Amino acid sequence: MTYDLPVLSGIKNLLIGLWVTLRHLFSHAVTLQYPTERWTMPERSRGVVVLLSNKETGELNCTACMLCAKACPCAAIMIERHRGDDKKWKIDSFSVDNSICCYCGLCEEACNFDAIALTPKYEFSTYDRPSLTYDIHRLQELGRDVDYTPRVKKAPAAAASATTATTEAALTPTPTAPKATTETPTNPSEKGESA
Amino acid sequence: MREPQAGYTEEFEVNMGPQHPSTHGVLRLLLRMDGEIIKNAEPHVGYLHRAIEKICENRTYPQCIPLLDRFEYVTSMSTEEVFCLAAERIAAIEVPERAEYLRVIMLELNRIASHLIFLGTFSLDLGAITPFLYCIRERETIMDLFEMTCGQRLTYNYIRVGGVSQDIPEQFMPLARKFVDTFQARVDDYEALLTENPIFLARTKNVGIVNKQVCLDYGASGPVLRAAGVEWDLRRDDPYSIYDRFKFEIPTGTVGDVWDRYMVRVRELRQSNEIVRQALDQLPTGDIKAKMKPLFKPPVGEVYARIENSRGEMGCHIISDGSTKPYRLKLRGGSFCHTQLIPEVAPGIMIADLVAMFASLDVILPEVDR
Repeated sequence: MTYDLPVLSGIKNLLIGLWVTLRHLFSHAVTLQYPTERWTMPERSRGVVVLLSNKETGELNCTACMLCAKACPCAAIMIERHRGDDKKWKIDSFSVDNSICCYCGLCEEACNFDAIALTPKYEFSTYDRPSLTYDIHRLQELGRDVDYTPRVKKAPAAAASATTATTEAALTPTPTAPKATTETPTNPSEKGESA
Repeated sequence: MREPQAGYTEEFEVNMGPQHPSTHGVLRLLLRMDGEIIKNAEPHVGYLHRAIEKICENRTYPQCIPLLDRFEYVTSMSTEEVFCLAAERIAAIEVPERAEYLRVIMLELNRIASHLIFLGTFSLDLGAITPFLYCIRERETIMDLFEMTCGQRLTYNYIRVGGVSQDIPEQFMPLARKFVDTFQARVDDYEALLTENPIFLARTKNVGIVNKQVCLDYGASGPVLRAAGVEWDLRRDDPYSIYDRFKFEIPTGTVGDVWDRYMVRVRELRQSNEIVRQALDQLPTGDIKAKMKPLFKPPVGEVYARIENSRGEMGCHIISDGSTKPYRLKLRGGSFCHTQLIPEVAPGIMIADLVAMFASLDVILPEVDR
């Protein structure tokens, strides 16, 4: 039984493998010391659901039109509403169950009033399930510091009749999320690359 | 009690799985063993059955897409693509050019990510731990590209009926180009670690041979079929989307053993990288979504669309009754057919070779069980 060839090729391949690992030994460490250091999430990142408020008045943008609740594939959004004296819908309660939410972002797309949004916030673990259901106050508080550019209403042709304009706007899907954050997102992959 | 006799052996049954790490999910293999040699192997599937097809019947078309992300979660983009392709064919929707290019970029990046997962876990099953870390590192770059585009790393919900949900952000192009330019050297690294390694060759060469006839009999597709020497790729042979505009080779094996399947996938990594490069170069400007009515309501009809997934042919059969929900949705995944190859190939091989053979099939269990 000859050992020459397998041993030689074995040693050769061992050296090749060690050379590959050796080259990576002197590259940057990519470990992130999590509780002290934090990852900057991309601005489009879909995390916890929030309700957005008007920056000046501080009131919720939500008009209780129920489009987000209808768009939700897993029925995580629960809205109760009633007709007010001025014939407009008023919200009685609005809750999002984060334990069944699948963070697909369909509610954000369905909304025409910049009222609901998915934000890059991600730390919301709890010790029990009921506290994962966020009520309207919690959702509003979470959405206070979220930057967004209010949607520009379509001026031409829509002014003819206000009702058709709103329905048209309500039915037009928005392909791009009109969100703009002031902070410049860092590229996470730059850290991930070895030098 | 019988006295143990010298040389007395007995066949015994052993359960491999459902929680065995090398079954890549929850597959239970009932093995009939003669010592270390497998006499018979019987896969028991269904541990991950979630009735995705049935749930889709109660969801509108846009609502189906996030659900279908969970069907084949390693290449979610392709699941979305095949569903949207079928829906677009029923409703005769023309997808804008830019959206088609974005789809191809995402699909091929996702194919690379999927093959990297294969490469990592496959080498891990064979005892090589190092390549796994490097594969996951490159996959991480792709996940970051996806996250900045559509907001999620795994369940993208990016491809929509009639286009894609969002345009790529500004920083996507330079990062994607950087990835594409450096990736060939990375694949060289993986190959240096594995391809010619004598231990790797001993574990893979002429092990778990699935020959051409067996592949054709069992409806195998994708890299498993190509490793057996059949040059069949739906991207070229039944072009969907805009794949007829790209130049790429279809790597094939000769014998159909574990090493061939590994090699086909490694060469596909390079080919997919070239497709991404071409798509990035040719990317036109324009709309990213076709003009459609807000409520997607396809006409009455029936269609079967198929695409080349990283695991083989992925098909979607939609029957529409003219409402906003599909009347019936049927999905076809390559993994289901490949799981059936196990009883055909397993008898006579060692249990360690079964692990290598099963890993090389690159089966993903949610796709088997739906």
